[in-house]
Amino acid sequence: MLEAKKICKHFEGLKAVNDVSFTIEKGEILGLIGPNGAGKTTIFNMIAAVFPLTSGEIYFNGKLISNLKKPSDVCKAGIGRTFQVVKPFGGMTVLENVMVGAFNVTNSVSEATEKAMKAMDQVGLLRRKDMLAKNLTVSDRKRLEVARALATEPQLLLLDEVMAGLNPTEVEEIIPLIRKIRDDGITIFMIEHIMASMMALSDRILVLHHGEKLAEGTPAEVTSNEKVIEAYLGGKH
Amino acid sequence: MTNLTNTISKKNKHFSMNVFILVLAIIGAVLPLIWDNPYTMQILILIFLYAAAAGAWNIIGGYAGQVSLGHVAFFGLGAYTTALLYNFFGISPWIGMILGGILAAVVAGLISYPCFRLRGPFFTLATLAFAEVLRLLSIWARPLTGGQVGVTILFNPGFKNFQFFGKTPYYYIALILMFLVLIVSIWIERSKFGYYLTALKEDHDASEALGINTAKYKLYAIAISGFLTGLCGAFYTQLLLFIEPLSVFTSHLSNQFAMIAVVGGAGTAVGPILGSVIITPLNELLRGALGGDFQGLNFVIFGAILILVVTFMPNGLVGFFKDMKAKINHRSESK
Repeated sequence: MLEAKKICKHFEGLKAVNDVSFTIEKGEILGLIGPNGAGKTTIFNMIAAVFPLTSGEIYFNGKLISNLKKPSDVCKAGIGRTFQVVKPFGGMTVLENVMVGAFNVTNSVSEATEKAMKAMDQVGLLRRKDMLAKNLTVSDRKRLEVARALATEPQLLLLDEVMAGLNPTEVEEIIPLIRKIRDDGITIFMIEHIMASMMALSDRILVLHHGEKLAEGTPAEVTSNEKVIEAYLGGKH
Repeated sequence: MTNLTNTISKKNKHFSMNVFILVLAIIGAVLPLIWDNPYTMQILILIFLYAAAAGAWNIIGGYAGQVSLGHVAFFGLGAYTTALLYNFFGISPWIGMILGGILAAVVAGLISYPCFRLRGPFFTLATLAFAEVLRLLSIWARPLTGGQVGVTILFNPGFKNFQFFGKTPYYYIALILMFLVLIVSIWIERSKFGYYLTALKEDHDASEALGINTAKYKLYAIAISGFLTGLCGAFYTQLLLFIEPLSVFTSHLSNQFAMIAVVGGAGTAVGPILGSVIITPLNELLRGALGGDFQGLNFVIFGAILILVVTFMPNGLVGFFKDMKAKINHRSESK
């Protein structure tokens, strides 16, 4: 569904992402892990056209998307995303926030309302629909990020640390939610630090270290990989 | 069920707004019949005109949150286009008004588009500078604009020439102009376009990620805003039958449009009207009372009002009333 070919992003001298290639298959949950500063969010930003690639190409459903200039073009192409640092429209209600997402696929206000209600229901935000987004708790803000992205009706959803900052109970709630989104036919590419939930959710995991691909495989393969253990725990000297 | 209650509450919200507009229209239409005093008529005309211009500013400055401090540029373009087309070619000011509006819209788009692709205060600075450029240009192009001397519209009253003896026709035209801007604003509020403008004001990155081509929608907003401001400028020309760089390209007007919208409630349809009802008469009174001996003191007072408003009512009068209503509702609920 998505194919990244030797993508690089260099900021001045820093090689944030260097020569990384990977594919995402339709219907899977692909996890992206790596220590802080490994370049995980940079890869998301490259897919989402937040900035241009230094080199390499990204294809989505066989079409080149790494030449798109604006993030909105990527959303229109069928890729939704959430932000690690949540970005709610604080002065709008939850419903209005999600409607903005739904307007990606409709021009009608009533239709957008309907679609927004469905997306809010999916993430369990319906009871908060008339609340101003700035008054939401951290956990509900994360849900709002997901609901808004869902409302744009993406084929591929990029989730950037939706579990960070949540307590264990809230994490327990969000895991089935993500699984259900996948079961509804949306492919998921997600960044997460909580290994347990990553193991439980991902079909495959991609490990990034210093901007380079360290390993790729099923959760079991990845966690037994010596290079991965070394990157996370430090090597023997 | 929730879906149903939601649509009902939405309908109710629209209902009270629609009633408000209807009442306002009836009062506006009847007022000259019972209170036909030339001075008050003049003040009312100015209230409507400034409400319309502030409402036009509000579309880009309020809803979309892109603060312009050079809207007088579009006002002046509308004014000069109408005046010059009539004086040189005998084109009816009604047509001149539309052409002036279109010119203002195109120019607004051209100067704004490069800024909309950048972040930061570039748009505000560009509008400020552009208005000054137009003012200097209108002084420099003497054969066309008469320079500092200005343009006097050839007097030949009649509907076709947009010139009338009494104040009443101007009164109704200004009223219609204000309602035009109000209705455009309400349409924006209730459509996808309005949701998008509010979203991109709140957060640029999130808007883009949700598929909003932010530059495009800002461009639409400034074009509509420029067009309506141009119409206001054209009306001003016909009202006074005399324009000069100092009156239609002065930065003072830009500030006044923005201030009226902010005091009334930026990003709301009725805010600019409320703001104009308060600021415009105050402006006329202060200018009359202080204009001679204490020239400039009225600006000091306006500065003070603006500081007080942004400190204590950051969402303007409309925001203040909404908070009051919410408090009263809350109190009655808790009882």
